[in-house]
Amino acid sequence: MESKQVLEIALSAGKILMSNGAETYRVEETIERICNSYNLECECIATTKGVFVSVIDMNNEKVTSLKKIRETRIDLYRIELINSFSRSIKNNPVCYEEAEKILKDIDSTPYFSFPIRLIAASMTSFIYSLFFKGTIYEAVVSAVISIGIYFMLEKVSKLGSFQFFQFFFSGFIIGCASLIAESLLPFVNKGNVITGSIMILIPGVALANGIKDIIYGQFTAGMAKFGEAMLIITAVGAGIGTALTLGIGIKL
Amino acid sequence: MIKQITLAFLGSIFPVILFNIDRKKIIWAGFCGAIGWATYISVYNLQDSMGMASFVGAFTVGIYSEFMARKLKTPAIQFSMPGMFPLVPGIIAYKTINYIVQQNYSAAYSNGIQVIIAAGAIGFGIMLSTTTFRFISKLTKQKS
Repeated sequence: MESKQVLEIALSAGKILMSNGAETYRVEETIERICNSYNLECECIATTKGVFVSVIDMNNEKVTSLKKIRETRIDLYRIELINSFSRSIKNNPVCYEEAEKILKDIDSTPYFSFPIRLIAASMTSFIYSLFFKGTIYEAVVSAVISIGIYFMLEKVSKLGSFQFFQFFFSGFIIGCASLIAESLLPFVNKGNVITGSIMILIPGVALANGIKDIIYGQFTAGMAKFGEAMLIITAVGAGIGTALTLGIGIKL
Repeated sequence: MIKQITLAFLGSIFPVILFNIDRKKIIWAGFCGAIGWATYISVYNLQDSMGMASFVGAFTVGIYSEFMARKLKTPAIQFSMPGMFPLVPGIIAYKTINYIVQQNYSAAYSNGIQVIIAAGAIGFGIMLSTTTFRFISKLTKQKS
């Protein structure tokens, strides 16, 4: 396999990892592992915005290439598949066509279908509403709200990235809906509805990955992810706060 | 208590479906949440401190997920992320926002500090368990 082809495979693997929300140190490790299994020396830098790799080929020339990451979503299954692919390539270096085919297969593995994810989102809110000592009515209300929120998030994110506005707006909707629910159904407490519904908006992966990147010494990527998570939390909190302030003023 | 742990188990299963986890590993993610929450409750009963309970809970989650990650050969994040979910201080965070809205700033301040303590304890617990595991695995590598 030529060094340019190795570079291509390593970069594609790195890009899939990075755009599915893997930790930065894992991306660099994977790229280095792939290059090393074809006996190539490589240098690589991964940031949240792009992956840079440079290898030295047979004629002692340096080949550098980069790939930009345009959209990120969180997908743990793809990370796992790439991880096991890079480990298998270490023991058994496959040819270029085969590796490309495996990467393409990984890129087109299915997600859970949209209805299942909707049900999962609503059940998350249902469970956490009960978990924070809410009643069954509050749990049902927050499940209904979170179906709406998840549906909206999924549809709006197709239009483009309005990330913080999106989260602010979701928080606002949760606040308004819980206020309305409290005024219509007197046995519902808005606090338990809100605590249940916000659980689907918590940026758990960004927080955990940010912390892990910082431990591994990747401060640029780690702080970026950590800051992103903090901004999301602040945006949701501000949305809920706005809705509740309006509710005090208007008195439904 | 058993009801709470069951809820924690279910509460770790459903969020991971949103993040597209391998179907065979969903159940292990659920156990992660249940173990973390059981530790949280038992520490909280011994010592009435939320920060300590969150820390020990998160530490257990971290150890469990690193251990399972090595056993099943997958990234540890698959288990640590759902395991963190039940520990998130959602109810106090809500209270903080509610007090800010009511302009009761001293109550908002004391609740806000508790949120920061709990969140920091979770982060630090996971950090410490990962570092411990790395340290041990490096030591065993050096010996062999």
